[in-house]
Amino acid sequence: MSELEEKTENGSTDSLEMGVSEEQKAEGDSGIGAGVLFFIAAFAVCFLSGWLLFPNLLYSKKEQPFNFNHALHVEEMGGCDSCHYFREDGSFAGVPKLAQCVDCHAEVMGDTEDEAVFVAEYVEKEKEVPWLIYSEQPDCVFFSHSAHVVGAQMDCVSCHGHIGESTTMKPYEENRITGYSRDIWGKNIWGFKKNSWDRMKMDDCAECHEKETGSKGACFQCHK
Amino acid sequence: MTQQNHGNAHKFGMVIDLDKCTGCGSCMVACMSENNVPFKEDESNKKDSITWMRVYKLTNGKSFPDTDVCYLPRPCMHCGGKGDHGHSPCVSVCPATATDYDYGTGIVSQIYTRCFGCRYCMGACPYHARFFNWWDPKWPEGMEEYLSPDVSPRMRGVVEKCSFCFHRYQAAKDKAYLEERDTVAEEEYQTACTQACPSGAITFGDLNNPDHAVHQLVNPDPHHCGRPRNPKAFRLLERLETNPKVYYISEREWVRKAGDNYLDGEWEKAKMKKTKGHE
Amino acid sequence: MKVDRRSFLGLGLGAAAGVAVTPATWKLMDDSSIWTQNWPWTPVPPDGEVTFEDTVCTLCSGNCGISVRKINGRPVKIEGTTGHPVNDGGVCLHGISALQYLYDPSRVKSPMIKTDDTWKEVSWEKALAHAAEALGNIRKADNANAIACITDNDKGTVSGLFKRLTTVLGSNNYYTMDTMEKAWATTIDAVNGVKAHVGFDLKNSDLILSFGSGFIEGWGAPVYNFQVNARRKTHGIKLIQVEPRLSNTAAAADKWVPAKPGTEADLALAICGVLITKGLYNKKAIQADDPSFKAFAKMAQEKYSPARTARTTGIDVASIQNLAMAFADAEKPVAIAGRGKGDSAGSTREFAAVYALNCLAGNINAPGGFWLMDKDPAEVWPSIEMDAMATQGFARAKFVETDTVDSLMAKVTASAKSPVEALLVYNANPCYSLKNAKAVTEAVKKIPFVISFSSYMDETTQLADVVLPSHMFLERREDVSLTGPVPLDITALTRPMVSPLFDTRHPGDSVLSLAAAMEGSVAASFPWESYDACLEAVKAPVWKALSEKGSVVKEPVSLVKKIERMDFSLLLNDTAVVAAEGDEATYPLVLMPVDNIRLTGEIAASPFAVKTVSDKVLKGTDSFIEINPETADQLRLSQGDEVTLTTPVGSAIVKVNLFDGIMPGVLAMAHGLGHTMAENPYVGGKGVNVNALVGPVMDAISGLDAAWGIRAKISRV
Repeated sequence: MSELEEKTENGSTDSLEMGVSEEQKAEGDSGIGAGVLFFIAAFAVCFLSGWLLFPNLLYSKKEQPFNFNHALHVEEMGGCDSCHYFREDGSFAGVPKLAQCVDCHAEVMGDTEDEAVFVAEYVEKEKEVPWLIYSEQPDCVFFSHSAHVVGAQMDCVSCHGHIGESTTMKPYEENRITGYSRDIWGKNIWGFKKNSWDRMKMDDCAECHEKETGSKGACFQCHK
Repeated sequence: MTQQNHGNAHKFGMVIDLDKCTGCGSCMVACMSENNVPFKEDESNKKDSITWMRVYKLTNGKSFPDTDVCYLPRPCMHCGGKGDHGHSPCVSVCPATATDYDYGTGIVSQIYTRCFGCRYCMGACPYHARFFNWWDPKWPEGMEEYLSPDVSPRMRGVVEKCSFCFHRYQAAKDKAYLEERDTVAEEEYQTACTQACPSGAITFGDLNNPDHAVHQLVNPDPHHCGRPRNPKAFRLLERLETNPKVYYISEREWVRKAGDNYLDGEWEKAKMKKTKGHE
Repeated sequence: MKVDRRSFLGLGLGAAAGVAVTPATWKLMDDSSIWTQNWPWTPVPPDGEVTFEDTVCTLCSGNCGISVRKINGRPVKIEGTTGHPVNDGGVCLHGISALQYLYDPSRVKSPMIKTDDTWKEVSWEKALAHAAEALGNIRKADNANAIACITDNDKGTVSGLFKRLTTVLGSNNYYTMDTMEKAWATTIDAVNGVKAHVGFDLKNSDLILSFGSGFIEGWGAPVYNFQVNARRKTHGIKLIQVEPRLSNTAAAADKWVPAKPGTEADLALAICGVLITKGLYNKKAIQADDPSFKAFAKMAQEKYSPARTARTTGIDVASIQNLAMAFADAEKPVAIAGRGKGDSAGSTREFAAVYALNCLAGNINAPGGFWLMDKDPAEVWPSIEMDAMATQGFARAKFVETDTVDSLMAKVTASAKSPVEALLVYNANPCYSLKNAKAVTEAVKKIPFVISFSSYMDETTQLADVVLPSHMFLERREDVSLTGPVPLDITALTRPMVSPLFDTRHPGDSVLSLAAAMEGSVAASFPWESYDACLEAVKAPVWKALSEKGSVVKEPVSLVKKIERMDFSLLLNDTAVVAAEGDEATYPLVLMPVDNIRLTGEIAASPFAVKTVSDKVLKGTDSFIEINPETADQLRLSQGDEVTLTTPVGSAIVKVNLFDGIMPGVLAMAHGLGHTMAENPYVGGKGVNVNALVGPVMDAISGLDAAWGIRAKISRV
């Protein structure tokens, strides 16, 4: 240790007082070289894991109980509101309950395996399907569908994207730290947003509110 | 902060007839039940007992048999602050923007997830209307079943207070939107305490709307930040210029006098001023 | 390559720089801040469809209509039903708290049997067999009459089933708890010789003269009265309150008359005297030449002259005369009695004196007056079958002649061996709510076998041998008849708002299954498959309306035409005066239990309700007594001092609360504290039960408990 310290001390004194000699340079180079190497290696490892590993570690993936074909249902039933409707009191019913599905699916009507699972596991057992809701906001948020859909005449796609055209259900990704759905947090790990439906965080609400109403709105407008 | 729709904004407020109030406590419990207010084994230390709506007992200080008692329910006053510009005592001091003034409704919010528990607002509030969660709420086994999804349960370390049951306004607006109405009718948005009061002592509505009972009861003076023009009506600590949206009515002079801390002779002057002001 | 300090530096810097240009740091910062806002242990109540379902609250005799707000079928809140004839949208704090009674984890969750002071959860079959065996053994020993039963009242089919069970087991020892309605009924019976329900048409009156009734503190149908009180301002109804303490009612009244405690009847009679002297009574209603009226008039005028009464009551002559004039001047005056909430009986003399005032005003069954009503229960019960054991037992003398649990308990206390060998208790908690609760507790302990049907481990249930727990009212269907003194005849149906949470049963079904487990002909008198079937059959005359609309509201039938005599001679009798127990020399003060709307009696108040109680009534586990500052000064006591309060019945350590509104020399203590329910720390173990400090005083006429207070002393701890 003491040898090493001495060298470093000499080196630095030299460079201060007389400039750097070739010999010393070579010696110093090897030190800096190792440092740079370590730097580059650490940078690379962290950079790559930050971009590649971390996003995968941050979210746990869960599969829906069975696959649901939105496109097929939209074709058969019409618009989104034929299943995702408003209750008389103005509240939004969200994901349909079993009772609604049973109207058509009391018995198996198609030939998909998923429907068979649905009828056997849920309809016959009178058990609600434990759907994982991609756009579920945390408990502190109040969101009024009627204000947006009826009041502001927004379409579903603005926030939910083209889910109505999907034929399969993507896995539900849950943030391991916050418990939020990835669709709330944003698909893009860096937070870049291409479409209005890419993310549903407070800033996204505020951005649109400011644009449309001239104000981000008061806290209670969206919080409970 | 922008003042949106200041011209035709609502100004929700409450008028409490202290001569009708019997001190029964229905408002307190209706509030607790509506807003998921927790309870502890011992709630007799009133300093840490969370009651968004609290009924105080006032006495006239006279000895038997000239004693008189009055009960005074105290929700959050939803102060408009000096000049009624929305600078409520609590809002002005919050470093976290966890409480704000809604210019569209006049309601002072409290956002639990935003609050980090510094309690400045509690120190600033002259009405003791704010409460701190010293502990995590704990419901006895199975009692969590009755919690309402309309108000999120609070966690340890945050401040909470009366919201004028804002979630009921949200629900009423939801219905109005669906029915393509612009306005929410007076009876559609009532707070839980107003609804529960078996004496009908509490009236709630839009102070800016001359058709609403609250406006008619107190006749707020728009040139003096809503000061009541009804001589029997008063607001708590009027001279602080906090401009509360909760008004009280009483035929009893000692009760009206109890609404502020008057020094000797001040009450008489205040009365004179009030009478003159309305001539 | 050497690994030196620079290498480590490089490593660290590289890692930092590498992470910095990835989203990880920023995202983790954001995530962890969000994480702090979402503790996993903070509950997230599930959202869903909002629905409302109506039922009736049976926590008190007011029977308000309540609407239960549900989220996806899960009850979350209780509100008053708009348009309901009793409460029209209003609701009291206890009704709102009913969900806390429903979800209370300290409820009795399954049948239990006690052996050697240890409770054990058992199956219904086992508990029923155990109870049936004990009752059977008593019957077999030709001692069926030693089975006694206590219920809160005798109205409705469930009480009917208990009474029926008691009868067919072979016992006439069926008792109900005292209430002011019962005291009114015995008074009317004594004066007029008719069996009547009383009601006060307060809404339509213009002067309410209240003798100690906590008109806005839970008296009668509480919410109904709150609404009457609110009408006073708009409809010009005056309220005069006679009471030694500035209660909430006195504070709300137009005039407070602080008569000395226990002299309310004297004041009422003095007012009668003034009215008669001045001829200011309704001459159509009163036959002046009737000899019994003449005797009454003479007594009221002489014995209760304003001058004499001024001395007894402490109310000056002019005030007495002014009271009489105010009563005479009013167009529709009504006088009411029944102290505090009216949860106990009271002195017949007091009730009769107040009734006399109403008779003089001629307001019997008049709008805004005092109503005597005949309420047809509209029930059809099939005939009963009594076996030999039952007939033999039923033929024996009832233990106590009057229907009062106090006397029954006094009898048990007085006997070396309890004459009651088995006791069935339903909807009653005598060990808490009867005066001298300690003596009652000792008496119940002497009874060899006690069966409780309570949903809660209350004071009486703690002493039971078997608990057959009942569904609470939000879990069951049952008919309830309004018993509060409201001029309405309402029979309503409670409806289950949720499936029962625990292994409890409908009390009606418990009776049916207990009967079925008995030997002999007991079961034959209960031919129904279930309580639901019994309800439908027994209530057949009104079942259609009841089941469809949820309630049957009838115009009350007036009993005025049935009145043949009006005999107030019972007032001539001095023995009817009810004095406070204890001698003045030893006990210079008077203690009065006072009712507080935020507390309940028989069943403990909910956690929400207890939370609203003032810290000058309850602080930690300490009860307070109210005392006038003048009296406190004499005793050198100040606010918050700890004192020993002693009465002839017992003593307790309490704290002092100075209150200008209480008469000097009088102490007041809130009723409803001191429940011992250890499993429920939110409401149990708080304060002192004032009933343990006040003894019962049997009324000389009715035999009901007429105690209004007791003499007391206090000394510093």
